[in-house]
Amino acid sequence: MLELVGVTHVYPNGTRALEAVSLTIPKGMYGLLGPNGAGKSTLMRDVATLQAPSEGSIRFGDIDVLAEPERLRRTLGYLPQDFGVYPRVSAERMLDHLAVLKGIESAGERRLTVDTLLHQVNLWEVRKKALAGFSGGMRQRFGIAQALIGNPELIIVDEPTAGLDPEERNRFLNLLAEIGENVVVILSTHIVDDVADLCPLMAVIADGRIRLEGAPGELIRASRGRIWSKTVGRGELDSCRARHALISTRLYAGRTIVHILADSDPGDGFAPVEGGLEDVYFATLAQLRRAA
Amino acid sequence: MLRRIAAFELRYQLANPILWITAAMVFLAAFAATGTGFLAEDRTVHRNSPFELISLYVMFSALFMFVTTAFVADVVLRDDQTGFGPILRSTRIGKSDYLIGRFLGAFAAAALCLALLPPAAWLGTLMPWADPAALGPNRLEVHLLGFFVLALPNLLVTAALFFALATISRSMMATYLGVLLFLMAYFTLDTAFGGRPGLTLVMELADPFGRIAFKDLTRYWAPAQRNSLLPDVAGILLWNRLLWIGLALLFLAAARAFYRFADKGLSSRRRRGLAAPPSPAPTVPAAAPLPSPRHGPAAVRALVRARTRFETGLVFRSPAFILLMVYAMCTCFFALITDRDPDGRPGWPVTVSLIPELQEIFAIIPMIIVTIYAGELVWRDRDRKVHELIDSTPYPNWAAIVPKTAAVGLVLLAVFLAGVAAAVAIQLGLGFTRLELGKYALWYVLPSTVDMLLFTALALFVQAVSPHKVIGWGLMIIYIAIRAAGLGPDHVLLAFGATPPVPLSDMNGAAAFLEGPWILRLYWAAFALLLLVAAHLMWPRGTEARFRPRLKMAALRLRGAPGLVALAALLVFAAAGAYAWWNTNVLNLYRSPAAQEAYLAEYEKRYLRFEALAQPAIVDVRLDVALYPAERRAVTRGRYRLRNLTGGPIRDVHLDLRDPELALIRAEVEGGRLILDDPVYGYRIYRLGSPMRPGEERALTFETLRHHRGFRNGLPAAGLVENGTLVHERELMPFIGTARDGLLSDPAARRRQGLPDRPDPAGWAAAGRPSATLDVVVSTAADQIPVAPGDKVSDSVLGGRRVARFVSTRSIPLFFSIQSARYAQRHRLHNGVDLAVYYHPGHEWNVERMLDGLASSLDYFQANFGPYQFRQARIVEFPGYWNFAKGSPNTMPFSETLGFLADYRDPAVFDRIGLTTAHEMAHQYWGNQLMPAGVPGAGLLSETLAQYSAAMVARRRYGAEALRPALREQLDSYLAARGGAKADEAPLVRAGQSHVLYQKGLLAMMLLERRMGEAAVNRALRTLLARHRPPGPTFALPDELVAALRAEARTPAQQALITDLFERITLHDLAVDGARAVRRPDGRWDVDVTVSARKFHAGGHGEDRPAPLDEPIELGLFTADPDDGPLDRRSVVTVELRPLRTGRQRLRFVTDRRPAYAAIDPYALYIDRKLRDNVVEVE
Repeated sequence: MLELVGVTHVYPNGTRALEAVSLTIPKGMYGLLGPNGAGKSTLMRDVATLQAPSEGSIRFGDIDVLAEPERLRRTLGYLPQDFGVYPRVSAERMLDHLAVLKGIESAGERRLTVDTLLHQVNLWEVRKKALAGFSGGMRQRFGIAQALIGNPELIIVDEPTAGLDPEERNRFLNLLAEIGENVVVILSTHIVDDVADLCPLMAVIADGRIRLEGAPGELIRASRGRIWSKTVGRGELDSCRARHALISTRLYAGRTIVHILADSDPGDGFAPVEGGLEDVYFATLAQLRRAA
Repeated sequence: MLRRIAAFELRYQLANPILWITAAMVFLAAFAATGTGFLAEDRTVHRNSPFELISLYVMFSALFMFVTTAFVADVVLRDDQTGFGPILRSTRIGKSDYLIGRFLGAFAAAALCLALLPPAAWLGTLMPWADPAALGPNRLEVHLLGFFVLALPNLLVTAALFFALATISRSMMATYLGVLLFLMAYFTLDTAFGGRPGLTLVMELADPFGRIAFKDLTRYWAPAQRNSLLPDVAGILLWNRLLWIGLALLFLAAARAFYRFADKGLSSRRRRGLAAPPSPAPTVPAAAPLPSPRHGPAAVRALVRARTRFETGLVFRSPAFILLMVYAMCTCFFALITDRDPDGRPGWPVTVSLIPELQEIFAIIPMIIVTIYAGELVWRDRDRKVHELIDSTPYPNWAAIVPKTAAVGLVLLAVFLAGVAAAVAIQLGLGFTRLELGKYALWYVLPSTVDMLLFTALALFVQAVSPHKVIGWGLMIIYIAIRAAGLGPDHVLLAFGATPPVPLSDMNGAAAFLEGPWILRLYWAAFALLLLVAAHLMWPRGTEARFRPRLKMAALRLRGAPGLVALAALLVFAAAGAYAWWNTNVLNLYRSPAAQEAYLAEYEKRYLRFEALAQPAIVDVRLDVALYPAERRAVTRGRYRLRNLTGGPIRDVHLDLRDPELALIRAEVEGGRLILDDPVYGYRIYRLGSPMRPGEERALTFETLRHHRGFRNGLPAAGLVENGTLVHERELMPFIGTARDGLLSDPAARRRQGLPDRPDPAGWAAAGRPSATLDVVVSTAADQIPVAPGDKVSDSVLGGRRVARFVSTRSIPLFFSIQSARYAQRHRLHNGVDLAVYYHPGHEWNVERMLDGLASSLDYFQANFGPYQFRQARIVEFPGYWNFAKGSPNTMPFSETLGFLADYRDPAVFDRIGLTTAHEMAHQYWGNQLMPAGVPGAGLLSETLAQYSAAMVARRRYGAEALRPALREQLDSYLAARGGAKADEAPLVRAGQSHVLYQKGLLAMMLLERRMGEAAVNRALRTLLARHRPPGPTFALPDELVAALRAEARTPAQQALITDLFERITLHDLAVDGARAVRRPDGRWDVDVTVSARKFHAGGHGEDRPAPLDEPIELGLFTADPDDGPLDRRSVVTVELRPLRTGRQRLRFVTDRRPAYAAIDPYALYIDRKLRDNVVEVE
């Protein structure tokens, strides 16, 4: 179980990327949802021991992560949001190198690890190719393969599905779901569906603070009866935005479907809708914008 | 549009940290150059003289190549790297505007950096610490010329060239490869063809930096010209500049022509790779659980091993590394081949002579390689954005540091091995088959690699703590520059990685000198380990770049193993340091350069006042020298007979023992008591109970110890070694009274110490030395042969020691050496004189030639100057720790590097050994029989006459034509050395500077000999010698030589010539302006030659004053170009002495054959700074 208490991260230029974040994350998939620039990657890197927060504590099981980062790294699998590769190095060789770094000592075990993972992420056929020539999806699959080396108990994946086509995304999420049963997996994303499909627990982060936490289903239930929808023309959008707490707009066949948040029937032709996780998420962000 | 793009580019570059680092370095270097003169020695040339400043502009603008390339290559390459290219290229911007605009912006940025040079140089001169005597007026036009004529065009040339290369190749790697090739070609061509007379003009034009043209224009500038003149821009320099500016524009045009806006596309190889069909589907392994990691010591070991393999793999497979190896090999080959034959003096490629050359070739380059690789390796993961993957794995920091250090170490090892491979290939290619791989390994590869590993630790540490790769590089480059300029601390314990130097020799190897360097390496290795521990603690891991959190983390990590390692390293550091200090400062004397200067000044203030004090003379010396070569120890017991040769009584006897390595165990003066003992300055005064009456004799007995213990800070004491001991008289015995030799001579140092200016030194080490009869018993190891001057009267092995006694019944100057080694000998009896060469077995190549040289010298000297005084003439080899020969009486030490290793397989090679042998043999007359007094100009009586005598011997053996190239060389050396002299030049009769005594002196004597005749000159010398031959009135004065020559001069013209040559500094400017030949009706030829002639007298700084010319000078008509190698007699049509006056004049000749060339001064006897116009083709 991963516990964050009062984690605050201030960058040298004064940016307060995280503000007193406290979270308790049990085994299983945990979704961390937030817009770009919300502080997701900062949080991920803090947990992955790539940097230390300015304040607060992070514990994983009996490991005090900030005092003993080495211990956490022994049981960590991390897929950064963006990563590069060495020139002239093949997928197989790079995976082998990372296995060495992660403590897979014997050559035979490394061979087994590398082969298994290459099959698992479907890169076996291109294993001899230089990583530099990989497409975005192939590179991302390589990323997950390396994160799985050595049976980590904490897996952090930062924006893994960005840039993947739908098929690749599906395959990727399936892979994650398989693993996520016995270990802690933190999936940070700005795509609501990733979380909705996979995660029994989730949190919404924005402007460095946790805005919402819970199980997706419950969160959806809690929003029931507060979300209303209407289809409007282009000219009506501005007046609608002025009068109501707008959550989201979506174009459909040339007209705009508007979702708003209201505790009671706002009238004006709005009809109640069964909200999805997306509405919950956008509602949270909308409230935040309103408050600002 | 162009202007705005250029302005944007300039602003962009101004935000580049490299630019600011460069600017700071330019400023500091120029500031220091004029303020402290750190780039130049103290000389009479001002630090801000036109010559020095323009040299500075040339040097900086050439070095700037690296910076400009970084700027201008970035201009075209960064858009591809950042991916911004497609956006930019889809705008309406034109190709010319884009390319040229950006080029101009980047070029302007580089030019701005260089423009800091004038203000920095000017500010430097204003600083309170600047020595006003070393500065002249600040002149704006010097900077204008330096900047606009030399620096800016140079910048443009390299910028345009490498911009074009980057634009066409679109690859940074290719561009830097281009820089490397350019540099190699530049140095290669310069060393291969520079200085060849026939190619001067081509080289001057072809040099893109105008350096050679400037060098040639100013080569013969004496300090006065260097301080005042600007180089003539209108001549060759202008053509050079125009040519290269034109080429630069051409490069730019090429860049524009070849540049394509379209993307580069994939290389064909990559396209093939992508098109390859997928490999057949493999068998899917059973879904077994993945192995779990382990973190024990075995796992870490495996990790370090695998990571080392990975890191070295990355390095070794990179194109940069392959390039580097090619570069290393080429440089070595080239440098070794050209260095083998400096000025036509080829040498056998013995290993001990090749190793120092390799060390010199790879003095700076490996440090730069380490710096670059350290930056790359530390920052690679971040630069490639792999750091988040790598750094979240559990590897310990040191498991990254150790493999990276090893990878860099292996790169350097490969470089050094490449050097050895080149050296061995050259040895084999030259037919030298004594392969000594062990020597290469122990003396070169191993120490160099260890040194570079230490340097790697430093570079990795600097990169680990610096916030950016470029900052780390900048710091390291500054450090390297300081180290290369020799500005670091003087003591090896204070300068990182410093070790005492190890001189090498075929005779004795280096074994005695290896302890110091390896103790120091241990000391610095411990320090390097501390640096690596610090790097481990501060390792930039993950995305944390801030210094403070890393420092906090470091403190936390110090507990446990890192702390223990650091503690152990600290202990080793302290222990090795203490032991080294004990060696350098307790067992041996250490004085910093400043302390040494102060010491000499203090000695002079305390004791030089006794210089003129009447002292008894040593008339007889008995020595018992016990050498213990293996222990590097010599015990000397001696007894002098002192005699009062003065007219008055002598009350005190002064003893001078300035050599700090010489310990005086005891000394007693008969009837005297010690009243002053100053062990620090090595000075004693004995008061005699009853003063010595004139003619009275007293005995002085003493015992000294010379023991080389441990190791020193600087060059090791190499006199007493296992095989090849060489100790000089002053290193064994005390002398009576004080003398000037060895005191401070550098004028700037004397000014600093508040000492008065002093005239030139004598120029002959033994000037004014006492003469005495000598009886020496030398004992040494049983298997060695001891050698001392005089007749060997006994030689036996007694009690396991070889003991030999040498007796000189005739007084000889106390200027000798004692040697001992396992020698082979070769003897030749020549007219009753035993000629002998004592040499190291294996160095027999030139022994016969040396014997020939001795024999022919003896013949000429006995015929012309008088009898030889000894029954033997010995040449005795000593290790090449020094490079000199000593003209001491009858037994002459010769360095192994001086002739023993010369390669004469090519018969065309001039016999320089003959010349050297004859020179030292001539000192048997000039120096040992004719003993100069210790006054300025003493060298005229020894060195100049020895030069002349040797040249006469060579002329007799090989003819005047063979001598001509050697004379030309002497002229060039003399003229070139004038500009760099530390003190004012004196006329020959007062000179102490070696370029005046040796080079100019020879030319003066040869000219005089031609005008007065060999017989007259030699008669004068013989007369002078006869007057002073011992036992006669002893010390001779230089003016006596002039008087003796004047006595032989028959005409006023000869008298005037003697004045010009010896009592003035005289220069000529001779030229043939044109020559025409017309056939006469009688079939002969009328030849009409127009010549210009001028004469100057120069002052001490070289300031010229025109003098009226009225003297006969040779004019020659030839059928072949006399500058084109030695002439044979048939090509001489006529050589006539014609009276010449100042100015232009026409001369008529009638010849039987049609001449093709007309030459003035064809025998190269005059001091003429412009030889190029001395020969013309006849029309």
